[in-house]
Amino acid sequence: MTDESAPREDSPRELLAAVRDLTRQVRAAQRATWFPLLVFAAITLIAIPVYRYAPYLDVFDTCRSQGNHTVCAGENPTVLGYWTVALVAAYALIAGFYLRQARRRGVGTPVRPYIVVGIILAVLMAAASIWLIYHPLPPLPADPFSTEPTYPTPGPGGWLVLGLASPGSVIGLALLVLAWVERHWALLAFSLGYLAIGLVQGAQVIHTSSPWFFLPYLLVPAGMLLLGAAAFAWFRPAAQVPA
Amino acid sequence: MMTEHPANGLDDVVHQRVRLGIMAIAHQARQVEFGFLRTTLQLTAGNLGQHLTVLEKAELIQIEKGYEGKRPRTWVTLTAAGQAALRNEITQLKQLIQQVEQVDGTPAAD
Repeated sequence: MTDESAPREDSPRELLAAVRDLTRQVRAAQRATWFPLLVFAAITLIAIPVYRYAPYLDVFDTCRSQGNHTVCAGENPTVLGYWTVALVAAYALIAGFYLRQARRRGVGTPVRPYIVVGIILAVLMAAASIWLIYHPLPPLPADPFSTEPTYPTPGPGGWLVLGLASPGSVIGLALLVLAWVERHWALLAFSLGYLAIGLVQGAQVIHTSSPWFFLPYLLVPAGMLLLGAAAFAWFRPAAQVPA
Repeated sequence: MMTEHPANGLDDVVHQRVRLGIMAIAHQARQVEFGFLRTTLQLTAGNLGQHLTVLEKAELIQIEKGYEGKRPRTWVTLTAAGQAALRNEITQLKQLIQQVEQVDGTPAAD
C-alpha cells in the first residue's frame, strides 16, 4: 500500500490507461448479471402451473356459449395478471438485490434505468395484451363455433406486435438496457440471442390438443435464462469487498 | 495565432494519479465508499484521506459520513464541478497524446 503520496510523473498515456483500468474494475464490482437471469428463469418456470391449472376468468367478457360449448377469445386474464405481477415483482426484487450489493461492495449501482424500463415494458405488455383481446391479430372467424380448421397467420407486422406484447420481450428488451448500463458485451450478445429465439419460437404454432401444448414456449426461454445465469455466475470476476 | 498547449489546460488538483483515480472511480460508481477506494487504489487510510480532503476543498467531490448498522461508512460522490473537471482532464490528456504523436510522427511511447 502507498503511504506516501510522493510526486510521480506519469505520462498522459499511463494516466488514461489507469483511468480505463479503474473504470473496468468498478464495472466488474457493479455487475450481478446472474441474478436477474435467475429471477426471470424462476418466474418463467412458476408460470407452468399457472398456464396449466389457472381458471379462465372472463373479466373482459370475451366468452361465448352455445349449448354445452364455450369459446373464449384472447389470452387467459389470469395468465396475463400473473405475468404483470410477476414481472413487476421481479424488477423490485432485482432492484433490492443490486442496492444491497452496492452497499456491501461500496460502489453505487447504475441499475435504475434497467428497472424503470423493465417496469414500463411490463405495464405496456399488459396494456397491449388487453388491446389484443379486443382487437385480435389475426381477426377471429365470424362464427367462433365453426369447426373448420383455419389457421390464419397475422403477418409480419402482427407477429411483431404479438412478440412485443409477450413476457419474453419484456425480459429481453430490458436486458438490452442492462447490457448498456453495465457496458456488458457478453450480456448484449445473450440478450439478442434470447430475443431472437423468442421471435422464432413465437412464429411457430404448435397444432395439438394437449393441455401441455405451451411447455416449449416456457421451457426453452427458462432453460436459456438458467444457462445464462449459471454462465455469468461462473465467469464473474471475484468482487472485492472492503473490510 | 498560437493555440494554447494542452498542458496549460491541466488542473493541478486533478492531474495527479491518485486523485484522478478517485474521480474516475466516483464517476463510474456514482457513489463510492471509502473502503472500496482504499482497496482499489491500494492506499493507506491516511493517504487516501489526504487526497479526499484536497478534492473536497476544491469542491470536486462531496463526502457523506454515516453508519450502516454499527459500522461507520464514508461515501464519496463527484460534484457537477468534479464531473466537468474530470471530462476536461481526459480531453487534455488525449490532446497531449495527439500532439506528441504529431510531433514524433509515430505513436507516443508509454
